[in-house]
Amino acid sequence: MSDHQSVDKTLPAQGQQTTTDFGYKQVDKSSKASMVAGVFDSVAAKYDVMNDVMSMGVHRLWKRYTVDCAAVRKGQHVLDLAGGTGDLAAKFSRRVGPTGSVTLADINLSMLKVGRDKLRDQGLIQNLEYVQADAEALPFADNTFDLVTMAFGLRNVTEKQNALNSIFRVLKPGGRLLVLEFSKPTLEPVSKIYDWYSFHVLPKMGELVANDSESYQYLAESIRMHPDQETLKEMFEKAGFENCDYQNLTSGIVALHRGYKF
Amino acid sequence: MPAMALLSGAIETLINQVLSFDPDSQQRLEKLNHACLSVFIEGVPNGITLHFADKVEVSIENDAFEALEQNLAAQHCCIKTQLAVLPELKETSQLTRLIQQKKLYLEGDINVAQQASALFKELDIDWEEQLAKYTGDVFAHQAFSTAHRLFDSLTEFATKGQRIAANAVVEEKELAAHKLAVLHFCDEVSDLRNDVERFEVRLAQLESHIS
Ligand SMILES: C[S@@+](CC[C@H](N)C(=O)[O-])C[C@H]1O[C@@H](n2cnc3c(N)ncnc32)[C@H](O)[C@@H]1O
Repeated sequence: MSDHQSVDKTLPAQGQQTTTDFGYKQVDKSSKASMVAGVFDSVAAKYDVMNDVMSMGVHRLWKRYTVDCAAVRKGQHVLDLAGGTGDLAAKFSRRVGPTGSVTLADINLSMLKVGRDKLRDQGLIQNLEYVQADAEALPFADNTFDLVTMAFGLRNVTEKQNALNSIFRVLKPGGRLLVLEFSKPTLEPVSKIYDWYSFHVLPKMGELVANDSESYQYLAESIRMHPDQETLKEMFEKAGFENCDYQNLTSGIVALHRGYKF
Repeated sequence: MPAMALLSGAIETLINQVLSFDPDSQQRLEKLNHACLSVFIEGVPNGITLHFADKVEVSIENDAFEALEQNLAAQHCCIKTQLAVLPELKETSQLTRLIQQKKLYLEGDINVAQQASALFKELDIDWEEQLAKYTGDVFAHQAFSTAHRLFDSLTEFATKGQRIAANAVVEEKELAAHKLAVLHFCDEVSDLRNDVERFEVRLAQLESHIS
């Protein structure tokens, strides 16, 4: 596993905000990454089970839809960023074939290890690479990938705009970015049920299944603090992406954003 | 849209489950060596693509057949056909005929279509053994012999029923003519046709005499 931990984070300019959200809490920007790391260290082992339990399996459909929208072809190079336990990477690996490649990148070593073991158990080895990397400062050359995907990762990143800029740099011209992330429900009744579920049921499930209610409280809070559909689309455009659009899935509980680098 | 994802997920699970029942299918899958096959059915808005790897991945195609066939990678075969023609694709020897009859449009590597067809056609599944995994040998064996017996009795019953119904219609209810009566009637019709033809010829001769 290559270790390309980023080192080039710049100090905040004068007058720039020095705090950021960690769920509903405001924390020092420099400490968010390690706090997020703490969350994912703690959930890594039970992550897949919890995903199935919490979403009642629907996360598999959202991911499948994302992979279908990616429409990768044989021989293409894919970066699955914040790829965690590798659900998307496994699908891409079979689709790009031995002439293509899939890079599973994540900032968290525990998640990356769970992902690597899972994919190896499935016999997927030949076209997969694992890289520990921060989305804000990707350790890849310019114009490397045909496709970058980021599923449920962006909201954990401290400076989301930096991550989008960095992704834009590593995409080849003609390449595209797909971001699958929790978003703002479009229907009021759905929103109410979803709020009740996130703040009352989720942490209890976390407690019961993973013995960890705090991490799942963070999950619910971080979702509420994440930019809504239109704001994220504007951030895509600011990073240089063109033909940007998004599609709401399950009434906007999740949205799939797409942008091209031309 | 996620409905389509649900559909492709269901197809994928079904295909892989069925393939896993036949240990030899892995070998046939290896022969396909990371090829992919896109299938479009006339009248259905989206096509599906089967990616053959250690297992089969199924994806929904957002591009139309015409767009996809423009830039096919190596080992990618793209076919467009009608629903009714699908079962005929099992016979790989029929592919050329179907293409000539314009019932099948095929672009790309024809070997992929042939090997994919073989993957499914040569499936050899011991269903009794599969059931035994869940229920134990004794139950599976009994269930299958009962099912066989039931099937045999039903077939016999159906054949008998057909005979009885035919008799009833012909002999008892006299709703339909007996087979022999039908043959006799056909003979009479053909005799009459011959008589008419002869009469026509003689009429023509008489006409020519008069004139
Ligand atoms: C909720 S998980 C999603 C995992 C996977 N993509 C999935 O959909 O199942 C979020 C992942 O984002 C990773 N992550 C958080 N901050 C990151 C950063 N700055 N750069 C790269 N990965 C990050 C976490 O380590 C974690 O594995």
